[in-house]
Amino acid sequence: MKFKDYYEILGVPRSATQDDVKHAYRKLARKYHPDVSKDADAEARFKELGEAYAVLKDPEKRAAYDQMGSQWKTGQDFQPPPGWDAGFEFSGADFGAGLGGDHSDFFEALFGRHAKSGPRPHMHAQGQDHHAKVLIDLADAYRGARRGISLRMPMLDAQGRVTMQERTLEVGIPKGIRAGQHLRLAGQGAPGLGGGAAGDLYLEIAFKPDPQFRADGRDVYVDLPLAPWEAALGTSVTAPTPEGQVQLTIPPGSAAGRQLRLKGRGIPGTPPGDLYVTLSIALPPADSEAAQEAYRAMGKAFDFNPRAQKKG
Amino acid sequence: MKQANMTSIEGRVVEEQVQLTLVELCQACSAEEEHVTAWVFEGVLEPAGDSPQDWRFGGESLRRARLALRLSRDLEINPPGVALALDLLDEIAALRARLQRVGVR
Repeated sequence: MKFKDYYEILGVPRSATQDDVKHAYRKLARKYHPDVSKDADAEARFKELGEAYAVLKDPEKRAAYDQMGSQWKTGQDFQPPPGWDAGFEFSGADFGAGLGGDHSDFFEALFGRHAKSGPRPHMHAQGQDHHAKVLIDLADAYRGARRGISLRMPMLDAQGRVTMQERTLEVGIPKGIRAGQHLRLAGQGAPGLGGGAAGDLYLEIAFKPDPQFRADGRDVYVDLPLAPWEAALGTSVTAPTPEGQVQLTIPPGSAAGRQLRLKGRGIPGTPPGDLYVTLSIALPPADSEAAQEAYRAMGKAFDFNPRAQKKG
Repeated sequence: MKQANMTSIEGRVVEEQVQLTLVELCQACSAEEEHVTAWVFEGVLEPAGDSPQDWRFGGESLRRARLALRLSRDLEINPPGVALALDLLDEIAALRARLQRVGVR
């Protein structure tokens, strides 16, 4: 297990007041909130912040954490000394607030895994609705698909312990679905109590990162590199679309950055999205005598100064 | 770890095929009615219907309500603050989409 320096995570000295801790947490939480930040590691940072704050905002836990001493550094191998928390009385407030009590091993070794304190279920109640995020291929949104998805769900076993149950569902992905939309699977959430109906399962759809295509709503974007002569003279090229190859006419005099719109070739729907092909120009390497000669010939043939236009 | 049997199911696209009542929306995002009502009052959510009993939320409300819930819980933002944050996030998303359209990633 690795030690976590909660002071370092919040960027405050060990002498920080409770107000300093709160202030630092609020500032960083706004910066790294996964709904606000576009940083790839925002979610991990935000969880770490929540954990650090859960300990340092609580004078009891902070005092217990502090007495392990300041010689520890983040990432050092760590085992809590036996009886490290002797003499501390925790009032048992819920740590689980925030991102659902999903804490590091380090946190759980020190402060234990606390059951989430939700409202007590009624004897007869509808099961809770569950949410999960699934990644699909962009092509699935074009054609529709059936996909097996694996979900892990914490469940209470007969002894009241939390165990992870894994289940696999085969789900129909409807044609035309877009990133950010939700699929509702009726009755696939938590079981009801005392004969109550089961809750629903909501799947939030996201596309797997694709090396070629990126989607924005129903519209899809792709880059298409051209050789300089293809862009200058115009041509017909084979271009990729999520549905397969199409033959595309490149008009003469196409500049890099020009976008060609293929109407209705985006994600299907009413109306369907469009496919935008962004042209770029790739220069062939001058790595042989013949290639260098061709470039020299071009230089002679054109009276062209690419920097001259800037002055205008 | 227990493995349950494979089941094959069809879902409905919430944003296009589903309308939710106040009770259903609260159940779907584990929010309190009082919070959802406050967000409606601030214009975060715009249901059809005049009184809370008659409210019908479009499917898009699910995403907005879950976002509102996370922001108010994680950052302790009050309903007017949530409304402002959602407006600004919408605006950022629209600007990013415009950048993407002109070829800036």
